[in-house]
Amino acid sequence: MLRIDPSDPRPIWRQIEDGVRHLVARGALPPGESVPSVRDLARDLQVNPATVSKAYQRLTDDRVLVVHRGEGTFVADRPPALPETERDRLLGEAALRYASRATTLGAPRPVAIGAVGEALDELAAGRSESPGGDE
Amino acid sequence: MSAPRTPAPPLTAAGLTVRYGRRIALDDVSFGVEEGSVYALLGLNGAGKSSLVRCLLGLRRPESGTAKLFGRDVWSHRAEVLQEVGVVPEEPDAPPTLSVREIARFSARIHSKFDRAGFDQRLRRFGVPADVPFGRLSKGQKGQVALALALAPAPRMLILDDPTLGLDAKARRSVFEELIGELAERGTTVFLTTHELAAVEGIADRVGILRDGRLLIDEDLESLRGRFRRLRFTRPNDGEATLDRALADLAPVTIERRAWGVEAIVSAFSEERWAPLAGRADLGSPEVEAVRLEDLFLALVEPPAPTGASVEPRGAA
Repeated sequence: MLRIDPSDPRPIWRQIEDGVRHLVARGALPPGESVPSVRDLARDLQVNPATVSKAYQRLTDDRVLVVHRGEGTFVADRPPALPETERDRLLGEAALRYASRATTLGAPRPVAIGAVGEALDELAAGRSESPGGDE
Repeated sequence: MSAPRTPAPPLTAAGLTVRYGRRIALDDVSFGVEEGSVYALLGLNGAGKSSLVRCLLGLRRPESGTAKLFGRDVWSHRAEVLQEVGVVPEEPDAPPTLSVREIARFSARIHSKFDRAGFDQRLRRFGVPADVPFGRLSKGQKGQVALALALAPAPRMLILDDPTLGLDAKARRSVFEELIGELAERGTTVFLTTHELAAVEGIADRVGILRDGRLLIDEDLESLRGRFRRLRFTRPNDGEATLDRALADLAPVTIERRAWGVEAIVSAFSEERWAPLAGRADLGSPEVEAVRLEDLFLALVEPPAPTGASVEPRGAA
């Protein structure tokens, strides 16, 4: 369900982090669902376990995932309730990354903004479908 | 990452120089491998990889420079330092008439920490028969036996010299899966030479690229991936001079003229440097894409005929 693309400029840990966020956002990984262990995911993706660990750590810090000692790692029960200032800071960082990408692709401003709207619509539509539909 | 157990890094090479007669095989090579990291050394055949590995294993005394494992000089303390290192040589060797089981029994006697059960499990995962004489195994199976033997005493460090050479795709994957398992369980430090660039892309923390005996690159893979890009310009207006000027800041490694336009691989990409070029119609609607390690490697080790491009290697700080 997760794939690593070596021709993607993002670091591998970021691809894993973003991939899990995406699966959670569109409901393919529902709240409470267990995620593979670091070792199993590293083996599946043929990447260094430290890379997976870094992605999981960031997802745990952001409370997308939770660790239950001795049981494993799970999708958090509800979207993390971040303080608004913290949420806005993270959002700003992500927006800057997206804006840089859009600029380097030469996308005019309305096109870049439009693409964000479409992506939000797509995620919302994905949520209403049965989870795990099109991996 | 937890703090290192000892202050001495697992591996350091300082100024290693090796000559065969008048030919220089290694020219002042320096680098280090940090505890718990995976270092991949790449180079075309004849670049000096074998000479380097021979120095690291104390099989060759360098003309100048030193190789240290865990802070001790390998040449003068070979037997002692190699106790803590698992080695998979390029040409795995063992008495050809002994079966794998007999070799394991022998190894267990000389290595107090030899994990026999773990060894047997690995052999089963590799699908290598334990009762066949070593000499009758295929090249791939010999390599797998060598890896299982290297891992069995729970070494602090692994040195692997092209461990997948001659293996089919399935066996190659099994070797890297074993390595990934080892990294997950024990965080073993790994130094490997390989031609398996796709696998390196997934597991290496740091990459060294040797060319003609010199270490051209010694850098974190993430940093390399960050600064190299392939750029395409379809039919730039007046062509070459404008384009070359525009590209200068991005330190092009290769610039190739093609029928449809110009393609360049640059070594100093950043969003800030690229942004002013991205929207320039006179450069022919530029496109940018990430470069796989394989393309980056080939661009550095076999640069095409110079077209005003300059290689900008960047060594360790």
